[in-house]
Amino acid sequence: MFDFLGEQEASICGGSHLKRREFLQVGALGAVGLSLPQVLAAKEAGAVRAGHEDKACIMIFNLGAPSHVDLWDMKPEAAAEYRGPFKPIRTKTDAFEVSEILPMHAKVADKFSLVRSVHHGGAAVHDAGWQIMQTGRRFTGGVQTPHAGAVASHLLGRKSDLPPFVVLPELMGRGGGNLPNGQAGGFLGKAHDPFALNADPSKKDFKVPDLLPPDQIGAARLERRRNMREIVDGAVKSFEASEDARLLNDTFHSAFRMMTSEQARAAFDLSKEKQSVRERYGMNRFGQCCLLARRLVENGVRFVTLNSFLTVFSQLSWDIHGSKPFMSIKQMAEIIAPMYDQGYSALIEDLHERGLLDNTLVTTLAEFGRTPKMNPAGGRDHWPQCFTCSFAGGGVKGGRAVGKSDPVGGFPAERPVSPGDVVATVFHSLGLNHEATLPGPAGRPFPLVDFGAEPIKELF
Amino acid sequence: MRTLLCLMVLTCSLSAADRALSFRHDVLPVLSKAGCNGGGCHGALAGKGGFRLSLNAYDPATDHYNITRELRGRRVEFNDPARSLFLIKPTAAVRHKGGKVLHEDSEDYQILLKWIKQGAPAPSDQDAKLTRLELTPGNARVKKGDTPQLKVTAHFSDGAERDVTAWAKFDSTDASVAIVNEKTGRAEIVGFGQGAITAWYSGQIAMARLISPWPHQIPNAAFAAGPKANLVDRHVLSQLRELNLKPSPAATDSEFIRRAYLDTIGVLPKPAEVRAFLADRAADKRSKLIDQLLARPEFVDYWTYRWADLFLISGKKLRPNALKAYYTWLRGEIAKNTPWDQLVRQVVNARGDSFENGATNFYAVHQEPETMAENVSQAFMSLSINCAKCHNHPLEKWTNDQYYAFANLFARVRVKGWGGDARNGDGRRTLFIAPRGDLLQPRTGKPQPPAPLDSPAITEGADRRAVLADWLTAPDNPYFTRSIANRVWANFFGQGIVDPVDDLRVSNPASNEPLLNGLAAHLVKNKYDLKALMRLILTSDTYARSSAPLPENIGDTRYHARFYPRRLMAEVLQDAITTVTQVSPKYANITLSDGSTAKTDFYKDGTRALQLFDSAVTSYFLKTFGRNEREITCECERSNKPSMVQVLHLSNGKTLNENLRADQSSVTPLVTKPNATLIEEAYLLCLARPPSAEEIQRLEAVFKATPATERRAVVEDLFWALMTSREFLFQH
Repeated sequence: MFDFLGEQEASICGGSHLKRREFLQVGALGAVGLSLPQVLAAKEAGAVRAGHEDKACIMIFNLGAPSHVDLWDMKPEAAAEYRGPFKPIRTKTDAFEVSEILPMHAKVADKFSLVRSVHHGGAAVHDAGWQIMQTGRRFTGGVQTPHAGAVASHLLGRKSDLPPFVVLPELMGRGGGNLPNGQAGGFLGKAHDPFALNADPSKKDFKVPDLLPPDQIGAARLERRRNMREIVDGAVKSFEASEDARLLNDTFHSAFRMMTSEQARAAFDLSKEKQSVRERYGMNRFGQCCLLARRLVENGVRFVTLNSFLTVFSQLSWDIHGSKPFMSIKQMAEIIAPMYDQGYSALIEDLHERGLLDNTLVTTLAEFGRTPKMNPAGGRDHWPQCFTCSFAGGGVKGGRAVGKSDPVGGFPAERPVSPGDVVATVFHSLGLNHEATLPGPAGRPFPLVDFGAEPIKELF
Repeated sequence: MRTLLCLMVLTCSLSAADRALSFRHDVLPVLSKAGCNGGGCHGALAGKGGFRLSLNAYDPATDHYNITRELRGRRVEFNDPARSLFLIKPTAAVRHKGGKVLHEDSEDYQILLKWIKQGAPAPSDQDAKLTRLELTPGNARVKKGDTPQLKVTAHFSDGAERDVTAWAKFDSTDASVAIVNEKTGRAEIVGFGQGAITAWYSGQIAMARLISPWPHQIPNAAFAAGPKANLVDRHVLSQLRELNLKPSPAATDSEFIRRAYLDTIGVLPKPAEVRAFLADRAADKRSKLIDQLLARPEFVDYWTYRWADLFLISGKKLRPNALKAYYTWLRGEIAKNTPWDQLVRQVVNARGDSFENGATNFYAVHQEPETMAENVSQAFMSLSINCAKCHNHPLEKWTNDQYYAFANLFARVRVKGWGGDARNGDGRRTLFIAPRGDLLQPRTGKPQPPAPLDSPAITEGADRRAVLADWLTAPDNPYFTRSIANRVWANFFGQGIVDPVDDLRVSNPASNEPLLNGLAAHLVKNKYDLKALMRLILTSDTYARSSAPLPENIGDTRYHARFYPRRLMAEVLQDAITTVTQVSPKYANITLSDGSTAKTDFYKDGTRALQLFDSAVTSYFLKTFGRNEREITCECERSNKPSMVQVLHLSNGKTLNENLRADQSSVTPLVTKPNATLIEEAYLLCLARPPSAEEIQRLEAVFKATPATERRAVVEDLFWALMTSREFLFQH
């Protein structure tokens, strides 16, 4: 079942047998990063494949749920109320066409592949889809499964002065369903929650909150504070025997390092980019987040989740019901799609030009797709039965189309793909064994993805 | 010699195979040991490759049906048993995705073959029951490097006794002490401390304790009990002696007063209180201090907040007035020091209007019989029975039938009124008990006769919950008293005697069993007066031990040879910052699960974090520092782990920087004081101790090197340094 990877370890069902206690030890240091021996322990236990140390992932989460039939899986042969107002255009690959409202996607189509048969059985509620697609599971019985980035943080630890798992520009907001959105460490613990930027990088005065001291604390004062803290903190000798106390001090030192580290400051400093590069990505929040994501990956962040929008209420998003407080199909064509088209294509091209694409998986996910038939308001509603996700880089071959939907885009016609398969694909690209187990609540072992979920092998 | 050995093996296996084999006790253990019915293989809910077994053999009847009847009986071949699919699959004679898991020359293979030859008899109610599983040696003193072989003996109801080591599955509870081969039961002692090995066979668990003492040279006198030692100390010292760990000396008065304040009432002692305590020469000053703390109004704030975690008092689940009623009820009981068993009875038996009887809101948070049962079990017995909802509990002895029998005790709880949407409605509902109604056990489609765990079915009376409450709070309930004793202990030591505290299952042993039993007995004797238990703990030498490690106890993390430092919980830390800086945050909103916010007018200016009713109150600080979000009944939701975001917030965020700059801050009056005076005052405020001469000297040097224009800044910086030090952020 795993032969395309040429791996023997997966031949026994149940996967790797990394011991719970080893995982617990690994987990305890997530915030500051693992020591090398612990990463090696995870590797030896079969959770991490060798030779994937430099892999990273940028997960663009298309909040609001884009209309697959208006963007990536067009149905020009269908009746007017299904096919919608847009026409498909040729792309750099023969494998698929895209919508005329994504012209720049067409030019980089040789670098990304589409999976057109993703579906899930969860509720057609935004937050339900958020948790299912980002963690590979619907939360049941009070168990909150971790975000794929938290799993990477847990198993791989940090690589540089920057945290291993970052969310841009901030955590998801309201979805209307009153459900957890899946952007957290879940049962792996808060040590693996993402570091959320909580700022808009397209703003003129953009800076990371709390990353730098307030204005009145200049370099001299910072040095004085550090000096005084050293004097005060040395008193209690007992702390070196306490793991948490060491963790806090390590974190303090890393924070000081991050605050004062040229690399970390620079990673977040978009003014270091040429204006032409910034403009190539688009001078808006999404575009600048794409640019920032590239800078973070360049500087050692393992997993960036980029929320393309923040909520579906009264703000720009992909949620084109056609009536207020949601978006219209016209707003999508005129504002949302162009912004997205520019940011995404710039990211792919830029990563490629810098030689980073081979080691960086860029995946675009969404909570679901949209109704094949347009509604009376001229919009489309929620549709988890069939939608499209994309994958580029990180070992994925571009220019392919995997799976097919039926003639109106209503259901998978070939090769149905589950959220577990999607997340397994992300893990595979990062070099993680999707059959390894994580320490769940009360010691219940949780495989990285549910049994039966497999990486989408046609992509590699 | 070799022939003889073969003969002997043959004789043994013949004797096993000659008797009539039992599907339940011979065949299923073979499948379990080979992993066939594991969650990754045919034990998955959907089975694997079209063949499904119940997870770890919890449903023998269905397993027998699936093996012998499903697929039109193709899995067993009575004419030629060796060609049965049931045998040629696991031996990989035909393609088997799971590989070869059974060898043709193994005893296991012979058992399966013989069973088919015997006609593949089905399990029946007449089968002998497994009455007891025994693991030997049960208690052993071992040395690092030893490799003891464990033996598992099964005792059956027909008097039979069999060595089932070959079919048991082994696990170690503490891999830093001992590891064990999962299949053979050969252990290896790899470290020091008290380890336990568990063996699982046919749904039962047995445990062996292995004691591996540290190789220190410690004089006997080190373990002598002090003049004020109490039952806590007797049990702890006895274990330290056994493990050869030297107890650290007593903490200083400064350490003790800060420690006792923070753990008992959640606030820092004021400089005047510290000075008075340090100056007091009375021999019994610590026990007087403890009595005062137990009587302070902040005690009620702190413990209401702590137990509210257990009751899930959250605006994400309840409407404001119901939330307030729930909180007010709990607070009133804590203020009265209502015995724990009575408090729990009030919850379990709660009925009536949710505004008038706040306790009924337990059943607004948990609205189905299954979740009521799971949460009663989790909150008051620290037992997670959730796994048994779908299959027999894989780590525990609870069966799927027991789960439904237990949940059925709640089947008649009904309500009128508010439906449960945390964003809408008034939250008012009336709980009553319906005269009939049962919860169906989905496996059988029939109601499972209602029964508390490990108890016979109840005789029907008015409210099944009353029977449950009696059973639950009975002193001989093996879980109830230990659960609360362990939770109280964990508050003072940062870890349970059974840890995690929400996991009191058999296979998660106590670090000191006699100690936990001793605390439980003390609670029973004192009629569940939690303050009495707290007093016992607080007055023990064990609690008063220094956190500084000795070379002879540095490896100890579980046996209390010293006090273990831990980060302050989020709310206590927030309040400590407020106490020092004199600037309190405002709590004006709550954040619902979907990220939307709603205004709340419950909290006046100056409300401390520990006085909040509700874990949903919007607070960047509390969220960042890991308060218990009260989503599920689990102390594990609270995190005292340091994180990067926390550290960045302390370093650069508003909480410290702006509070210290504020006019009303403690910094302001100190700016004009002489250096030595202000340094001492700042130390007492933040750390409850005077600075050492060396600290004063080094800090004064910093002050002197600072220009007068930066006088206020350097005082702020001193406070910043104190409040980001581990001595401030940690309980120690």
